[in-house]
Amino acid sequence: MTALLAQSALPAAMGSGVLAHYLFVSVVMFAIGVIGFLTRRNLIIMFLCTELMFQAAGIALVAFSRYHLNMDGQTFVIFVLTVAAAEAAMALALVVLLFRRSESLDAEGWSEMRG
Amino acid sequence: MEVIHPVILYVAVALGAIGVGLSLPRRGVNPQAIGAVIAASAGGLVILLLSLHTSRSGEGLPNPFFYVFSVIALGASLRMITHPRPVYAALFFIMTIISSAGLYLILAAEFMAFALIIVYAGAILITYLFVIMMATQSPTLEQNESLQDYDTTSREPIAATLAGFVLLAVLTSMLFTGLTSLPAPSGQSIEPGLLVELPGKVERAMRRAGALPPGASVATDDAGRMLLDPAAGTVTISTAAGGREVVELPAGLGVGNVERVGMSLLGDYPGLIEIAGIILLMAMLGAIVLARRKVMADDEDRAAMAAKIARRGTGGGL
Repeated sequence: MTALLAQSALPAAMGSGVLAHYLFVSVVMFAIGVIGFLTRRNLIIMFLCTELMFQAAGIALVAFSRYHLNMDGQTFVIFVLTVAAAEAAMALALVVLLFRRSESLDAEGWSEMRG
Repeated sequence: MEVIHPVILYVAVALGAIGVGLSLPRRGVNPQAIGAVIAASAGGLVILLLSLHTSRSGEGLPNPFFYVFSVIALGASLRMITHPRPVYAALFFIMTIISSAGLYLILAAEFMAFALIIVYAGAILITYLFVIMMATQSPTLEQNESLQDYDTTSREPIAATLAGFVLLAVLTSMLFTGLTSLPAPSGQSIEPGLLVELPGKVERAMRRAGALPPGASVATDDAGRMLLDPAAGTVTISTAAGGREVVELPAGLGVGNVERVGMSLLGDYPGLIEIAGIILLMAMLGAIVLARRKVMADDEDRAAMAAKIARRGTGGGL
């Protein structure tokens, strides 16, 4: 019981060098997401790569939240999750629609669409 | 003091670009393992130099589990964009999610770590897996390999890798030069008096610790606020006889991560929650409208359908 209550102490401050480790991981993950989005031709994998970029942004938000001992970063991860969920629902509905039309998940097949 | 010499940083980024470029799926010769090793050693070099700098400047290193989780997260995300089979790519993404949840735990964001696993790995990725399985063509008889052409080849691998790693070079050099001018953590924004907002928690904790005599309760002032002194660690209680008494708070009583996130979410951004709810509702409606299959029926089809329903209605017992 006391152990349960003792977890409530504020975490100790984190230095900017330690913060840089997390930001580096976040940046590399974002770049991997960008490369995946540009190179893959499967529509579903392309949308998975956007989720990877959301994930990278979330790591940066939580790391800054920990650095400033401020909860706003963590709160914004909730909104990132919301946007990711909404994006997944819409994107997958679109993918299903496009798959029914062309029987293929190839993004190249839709390259003649111009706005 | 420079964190990492720019030349070393750019060499590492270029090495990473070569590694990732080699490991992208393509036809014919596929040196994926070599590419992954090159990319991993480039990333490891940067992390190593960063850790050396941090330990020299006397800040201390990150938690050892940081290295474990970040290696798993980055390795799984690289494998995700290089794996030719979509189902495996989705599973590698789940691995990335779980190790990011590990990073969140190290960063003392327990609530977000579990929300991430539940929402991402539990809900979003399962939807992705459903769609992958629904939208995959079954292999024909003469074609024993079920891999699709668009999964095994990548589009513009060299240009895309270049673009991604130019972005990475810009971001990392900004990151490492701007690091020294980062404002120091203030820690001011979490006021110690957050416990004042949680009378139920204080009363429960005091009851559990036996600090409340029978019949007593935590006293409030006219505005309904607890009379709690966070600096002294005391709270006023009203006893069964009607008097007031100042007692000490039980040891270790404080505000946890979930309470802090909840206070920030509902106290500071209540409007955003409403907007998030509307976004989710719109996304649901949009998904239903988009994915609905329109049945094009002419009069003959409708008549046949009506006859079928009528037969079922009269013939069946149920």
